[in-house]
Amino acid sequence: MLSGLLTPLRGTSRIGGVSVQDQPLEARRHLGFLTASTGLYERLTGREVLQTFGRLQGLDGAALEARLTATIDELELSRFVDQRCGAMSSGQQQRISIGRAVVHDPLACVLDEPTATLDPLASRDILELVKRAQRRNRAVLFSTHRMEEAEYLCTRLLFMRAGKVVAEGTTEQLLERSGQRSLTAAFLHFAEGKA
Amino acid sequence: MSAFGVLLKKELLDVVRDRRTLLLTLVLPVVLYPGLLAVMGVIMNLGKERLKNEPLIVATVGPDAATLLARRPPPPKTTYQPKSRAEAELALKDKAIAAIVDVPPGSLAGLPEGKQVVATVLYTKRFDRSMQALDRLKPILQALNDSELTGRLESRQLEAEFVTPVKTDPVDLEFQKDLGPLIASRLLPVLLLTMLALGGIYPAVDLTAGEKERGTLETLLVASVTPTQVMAAKYVTVALAACFSALANLAAMGGTFGAGLALGPTTVTVHFGPGTLAMMLVCLVPAALLIAGLALAVASTARTFKEGQALMTPLLLVILLPALASQMPGVELTTATALVPLLNVSLLVKALALGTVQPLHVVLTLVTVSLSALGALKLAASAFQSEVFRFSGTDGWKELFRSWRKPV
Repeated sequence: MLSGLLTPLRGTSRIGGVSVQDQPLEARRHLGFLTASTGLYERLTGREVLQTFGRLQGLDGAALEARLTATIDELELSRFVDQRCGAMSSGQQQRISIGRAVVHDPLACVLDEPTATLDPLASRDILELVKRAQRRNRAVLFSTHRMEEAEYLCTRLLFMRAGKVVAEGTTEQLLERSGQRSLTAAFLHFAEGKA
Repeated sequence: MSAFGVLLKKELLDVVRDRRTLLLTLVLPVVLYPGLLAVMGVIMNLGKERLKNEPLIVATVGPDAATLLARRPPPPKTTYQPKSRAEAELALKDKAIAAIVDVPPGSLAGLPEGKQVVATVLYTKRFDRSMQALDRLKPILQALNDSELTGRLESRQLEAEFVTPVKTDPVDLEFQKDLGPLIASRLLPVLLLTMLALGGIYPAVDLTAGEKERGTLETLLVASVTPTQVMAAKYVTVALAACFSALANLAAMGGTFGAGLALGPTTVTVHFGPGTLAMMLVCLVPAALLIAGLALAVASTARTFKEGQALMTPLLLVILLPALASQMPGVELTTATALVPLLNVSLLVKALALGTVQPLHVVLTLVTVSLSALGALKLAASAFQSEVFRFSGTDGWKELFRSWRKPV
């Protein structure tokens, strides 16, 4: 719903103060979106993918070039950015995917189970992306089933079961309220309705 | 660059770099099609030549058949062999002989008295050498008839014209020298619509169902663009691929027929003037847009590339049906047929090839196809307005027509 892919039945949402319902295109300019199922155009080069999505998010000319350079440097893409995506390894593809999501330097990122199908090395790139975003005061909505990732990354956690929030707080608060020693145990505690 | 321009550039790059699309749109028409036609002509001529030089056996049934045929030298490479009727029929069935000539016993004796001899030639169309034997026997039997008739007329002091008071002499002024326009009017409508469809269908599936399957459609739709802009870029790309395929095919066909295609004893050539070619191109563009819209709308209902391909087979049949209907005898471009989308394009191409086109019909065809193309664009765009289509495609057909009613 935040990305505009689904239309909410009720309620409102804003990204960087812009209403997703009233100004969807403007709101999406402030959003980076990455999921485990999002793919890359295999017949385009990494640079062409970044240029295309940078332009679609409103960048052009010198601003686009500056963001391309910054993204390529930050994610260390220079070795393979001019290869076609179909010829890249899965780790390289993952880095290009991250670049695509952040090339326009969004205020917020939605990462929906981005590490679900990745090996530990490729997952590390995603986790680093979130850490970098945190350092730059960017908001990241990170959905995961891996509690160690949530514990490592998140400043605020929401436990959900069957589409409803069952608990909310920092890691410390959730552990304290549940009386458990691990986040997984805390999740099971709240999910089973023991709170 | 506008969002549409960025999307169009991306789609075109993606399509141009796809080997399967290039194979269908460029290699197939430019190399395979003229090559096949040329090879077909060579094979046909070689086959005919081979058959002409092949030794054939013709069975004669009864002494009268042998005596009658002996009055003329046998055709080249042909041997007569006396047999009983039963033996001969069995041999023909086994392809041991090529034909049978059966003359009833005693009938030859009546010939000098002015009676008629019936020479029955038994052959079969299932057997090329049998057809060839018939071709060889016909002039022999005709010559026997002519010489007997001449003798009878002379003995009665009658002129040759006496037996043919009214002679039919059909002369085809248009085509007796060159069969090109006729063949082009038969081939072009079917071929151009087929190539438009083949050229558009594959990219349409790749850019919709293929993108869903690869997870790239999601990345486009979360960017700062509207679903209509995304679909418009795909629409133009598919229409361009379809047009390109048809044009490549037209050029290949022009090259093949322009150089002259040897078919049998005649060489077929077709030369279209610039006006005719321009009119063909003008009517191909809206036809390509119509096919692109239909292909995108249908392909959008699929969840996977494979499912999309399966959906394209019935669509291809629907597109080809008007092209085939245009080949039915008596179906021509009229005010009524000019209002039937795709049939009108086929008939217009046919009329252009034959040089029988009328300006009113051209205008009606262009208006009808352009309006239909707009409808197809609306249908395709409505498919991308729907969440059902963008992601799952399940229950797609109901949703397609539900979303059609919503403003795009």
